[in-house]
Amino acid sequence: MTQPLDLTPDQAASGGQMIARLDRALHAAERFTALASAIFIFGLMLVGVCQIVGRTVFNFPIFGYIDAIEMSIAVFAFLAIAYCERMGGHVRMELLVGKLRGRPLWLAEIAGQVLGLLLMAVLIWYGWEHAMRAYEYGDSTIDAQIPWWPSKMLIPAAFALLFVRQLLNLIGYLRLFLHPEVEPVAVPLIADIRELAKEEAAEAGAIDDKDDGSKGRAGA
Amino acid sequence: MTELSNDTIGIIGVIALLVMVVIGVRVYIAAATVGFVGLVAIIGWDAGAGMIGTIPHSKSVTYTLSVLPMFILIGYLAFHAGITQALFDAARKWLGWLPGGLAVASVMATAGFAAVSGASTATAAVFARVAIPEMLSAGYSKSIAAGVVAAGGTLATLIPPSAILVIYAIIVEESVGQLLLAGFIPGVVSALIYVGIILIWAKADPKVGPAIHGYTWSDRVKAIPGTFPVIAVVIIIFSAMYFGWATPTEAGALGAFVVFVMAMMKGMRWPALRESLLDTAKLTVMIFSLIWGVLAFVRFLGFAGLPEHFTNFIVSLPFEPWVVMVCILIAYAILGCFMDAIGMLLLTLPVVYPAVMALGYDSIWFGIIVVKMAEVCLVTPPIGLNCFVVSAVRPDIPIATVFRGVGPFVVADFITVAVFMIWPEVITWLPQTLLN
Repeated sequence: MTQPLDLTPDQAASGGQMIARLDRALHAAERFTALASAIFIFGLMLVGVCQIVGRTVFNFPIFGYIDAIEMSIAVFAFLAIAYCERMGGHVRMELLVGKLRGRPLWLAEIAGQVLGLLLMAVLIWYGWEHAMRAYEYGDSTIDAQIPWWPSKMLIPAAFALLFVRQLLNLIGYLRLFLHPEVEPVAVPLIADIRELAKEEAAEAGAIDDKDDGSKGRAGA
Repeated sequence: MTELSNDTIGIIGVIALLVMVVIGVRVYIAAATVGFVGLVAIIGWDAGAGMIGTIPHSKSVTYTLSVLPMFILIGYLAFHAGITQALFDAARKWLGWLPGGLAVASVMATAGFAAVSGASTATAAVFARVAIPEMLSAGYSKSIAAGVVAAGGTLATLIPPSAILVIYAIIVEESVGQLLLAGFIPGVVSALIYVGIILIWAKADPKVGPAIHGYTWSDRVKAIPGTFPVIAVVIIIFSAMYFGWATPTEAGALGAFVVFVMAMMKGMRWPALRESLLDTAKLTVMIFSLIWGVLAFVRFLGFAGLPEHFTNFIVSLPFEPWVVMVCILIAYAILGCFMDAIGMLLLTLPVVYPAVMALGYDSIWFGIIVVKMAEVCLVTPPIGLNCFVVSAVRPDIPIATVFRGVGPFVVADFITVAVFMIWPEVITWLPQTLLN
């Protein structure tokens, strides 16, 4: 937080500085969730290999293998959902909104964020209840008797982080809607097809334009 | 609200979804929101909201889906295992003597890379870097060199490991193993039809792509070891699906491990591994979000009875099934011009799939056909992403030139789809031998 944010005057205007600060703090948390799910994916690979070797060579499969895998799915299927949002990774149809400029564009983005916030509010609330039921009744997997509630609890937690990210997006877009003359800060921007293609090529290592962390069509 | 019939609510839901998607709402948010509001409208707040709260967990946390991150990881690690150059080298030495030899070699090398990658755009990107310079220096025109690579990239989704085939299997409740097996032969047939087009073209006009000579048999044999990871992954996935000695997840894990070891041997270190893992995590969560979002929408559609009514309507049409099928495929070709392949399939299949089954088509056959159609859209204007990717890697080749070069291959793709329609056994034979 003490590092300079390197914003241009147009980015820093009208609260841009504050938004950029919040974005940086939130993105640190998001990157942590992404690393955690990356590590789980790596672990899934190693455990899978051990399972094959154990079963075919030593006739000794890992006890509770499937239960453990199912448990870990919650981590890589949900934990990084806010990270994916920040990096502009979620699928959307950009053909029409991509043509909009200024206030109409920011209005469409605001609508998307509001819908997302409402949905997440419902999913957090009822997902939490779902997890609490599993906790109270002591639901567990059949083979290894692993309790279900931590995996179920992870989902509303991941959604809560996404909720905060969407809230910050909403503030970022509102700022742009109110002051269309300022530069975007910390909001996912629609890439035109050429930028998107460049990103894909960079991800495959075919061109060099990777800049760690801030990559992913987000302003600032 | 109570006065509206379920049908009406269903139709309003579909229209609301379309509007949201068009104004750029993330597809998973749009689908889950409509699913939630629709369920509440039909079965009330308590039951509807309670149901929606359980869907993300219950629809995602199933063992079958754990194959997805493994397949995605294989693809990302493959870029670091030095496979692209090795594949192109081997293909050039073995096939360069043919008319249009380097173009043929590029197609076969992309097909080989498809066996370690499920991502079309990424495959097009890496081969744009490896194959285009060599084709240009051998005297190929820019449009042909770029077109071959953009089209070759599309082979990645048919030839396993393919995330999109897994997603299809999950949505329509088919066997993941059978769909993966089913992808092998159509993928190879697609590649061979590309090769056929190049041969005819280069034969008719030798200036298109001169043959290259001068490799000895010893050169050819020496080129093979570099392609080992590809051969290993093909054998692992094919034999695991065919003989059942490992689940798709385990086969994916072993495949990823082989490619991981190769990449480490080629000098991959922590920063590259971390990037590959982070990219895998991002793509995995994106796909899972789509899956549960769309399945929430599907739950609502089921309550509204919409798929059933659409099926009755399609079956009652006074046309032969193949005419209806051609119309469906044309609709996919058009839709694919505006939407990402995974999003398009997930959104349409819940309604289209039951109708196609009622027309008497095989579910595995249809899976391969729609995935092939989705791929064609990656090379057609206005947003054929593969072509833009090639142009991004090679800024000296304008996008119009790439689209021009890809033209013959789009024709080839339509020939391929026609072949699959006339001889469905090309797709169904392999998975059926498994059943027998």
